[in-house]
Amino acid sequence: MNIEAYISSGILESYVLGELSEKENQEVVEMAAKYPEVKAEIEIIEESFEQMAFKTAIKPPASVKERLFQDIDTKESKPEAKVVAMESSEASPYWRYIAAASVSLAVISSVLAFNYWNKWQDTQGELDILIAQNERVAEDYNQVNQQLEKIEEDLGIINNSSFDRIAMKGTDNAPEGLAYIYWNSSSEEVYLSVQNLKELTTEKQYQLWAIIDGKPVDAGVFDPDTGLLKMKNIAGGAGAFAVTVEPKGGSENPTLETMQVMGAVEKS
Amino acid sequence: MSQVAGRMQQDELVALLKQKDKTAMHYLYDNYSAALYGAIFRVLDDEKLAEEVLHDAFMKIWDKIDTYDTKKGRLFTWMLNISRNLSIDKLRSKEIKKVKKTDDISNNVYNVERDNLIYQQEESIGVKELLNGLREEEKLIVNLIYFKGFTQSEVSDEYDIPLGTVKTRLRMALRNLRNVLGVEK
Repeated sequence: MNIEAYISSGILESYVLGELSEKENQEVVEMAAKYPEVKAEIEIIEESFEQMAFKTAIKPPASVKERLFQDIDTKESKPEAKVVAMESSEASPYWRYIAAASVSLAVISSVLAFNYWNKWQDTQGELDILIAQNERVAEDYNQVNQQLEKIEEDLGIINNSSFDRIAMKGTDNAPEGLAYIYWNSSSEEVYLSVQNLKELTTEKQYQLWAIIDGKPVDAGVFDPDTGLLKMKNIAGGAGAFAVTVEPKGGSENPTLETMQVMGAVEKS
Repeated sequence: MSQVAGRMQQDELVALLKQKDKTAMHYLYDNYSAALYGAIFRVLDDEKLAEEVLHDAFMKIWDKIDTYDTKKGRLFTWMLNISRNLSIDKLRSKEIKKVKKTDDISNNVYNVERDNLIYQQEESIGVKELLNGLREEEKLIVNLIYFKGFTQSEVSDEYDIPLGTVKTRLRMALRNLRNVLGVEK
C-alpha cells in the first residue's frame, strides 16, 4: 500500500470532517494504528480544524450558559420519574382496568413512536452516507474508465505496425535512463513512453528533439508520466531522437550537455 | 511538548466528564463554547438559532460523552462535528437551506462577518483575514466546507467541480494554512 497516495487521496480530511461511513471510518482507524504517518497526518488535520475554530471564535451570550446548566441540573434531579403512591380510590375495578389499559396503550404507542422516529432518523443518516458513497464510486468508475480508454488507445499505437519503435538509451548523464519513441513517419505522429527518467525540479522540464539532417528539431516538452505522451509531429527524415533537460517551457536550441537519453532511427 | 501536555489534560477532562463532573463541564464550556459558537453561527447566520444549537450541542456532549472514544480523535473534533451536524439539521428544518446556501453565500462568502460580533480572544481574527493567503478557489472550498458545513460531495454537485478537485483543493488549502494556524508538520 502506497501511504503517500493514501494520505493525499483526501480520505483523512473526509474522516476528520465526519463524512465517511462507519466501515470507512473503521478502515481509517486501522490504517492509523498501522502507519504512524497516517496517524500524524490525522492529528495535523484535526489540529488545523481546531485552530481554525479558535481563530474565528465568537463569544456566545452568557444566557446560553445559564440555560444550559439549568437544564443539566434539572435533568439530573429527575433521572427517573418519582413513584408516588396513589390513594386507593373508590372507583370500581372495571374502571381501573380501563384506565390501566389505556395507560399501557399510551405508553406502548409512545415507545413505538419513539422507536420508529429513531429508526427513521438512522435511515435518513444511512441514506445520506449511501448517496455520498455512491457518488464517490461513480467518480472512481469514471476515472478508471478514462484510464482504461487511454490504455486502449496507447495499446492501439504500440500494436500498430505503421509506428516504428525507437529505444532511447541513457547517456552518461543518466545511465539508467530509458524511453521509447513511437513514430509514424507517414502520418508524422510521435508518441513518447517514459520508462525511466528522474523527477525534475519544478523549474525544469524535459524536452524531446528529433535530429533531422544533423539539426535538432523541437518535438515538445514533457513531464515524466505513465502511458504514452503525444508529442509534436515530426516529418520523415529524422535520424535520431534525444531528450535534454531545459528550463520550464523548453528552449529553442537544446542544451546538449544535459542530454539524458538518445536513440537512432533504424533505417528500414 | 505542549502537545503532550494538552493531550494529558484532554484525557483527564474526558474522564471527569464521563463521571458527570459538572466542574469539568464548566471548564469545557468556558474553553470551547466560543470556538464552537463561531462555527455554528457561520453555518446558520442567525443569532437566535445559533444560540439554540450551541445549547443543544453542549447538552448532547454532556449526554453522549460516554460514546466518545479518545482513540478515535481529539475531543474538539468530536464536539465540532456534533455542533456542525446539529447546525445543518437546524438549517434543513428551517428550510432556509436553499436560499441561504446558494444565493447569499456564493455572492459573498464573507457576509457572516458582521461588525457587531464580539470576538473573544485576542488572537481571534475574521475568516477573511485567516484565509487571506489562499488562492480564490481554495478560499471558496474552505468557506463552503469548513464554515458553511457543506460536504465535499455537495460542493462538487452545487458548484459543478469534480469531487477529486474539491478534495485536492481542500488538502492544499489546509497545507497552506498550517503556517497561519501555527500547526507544525
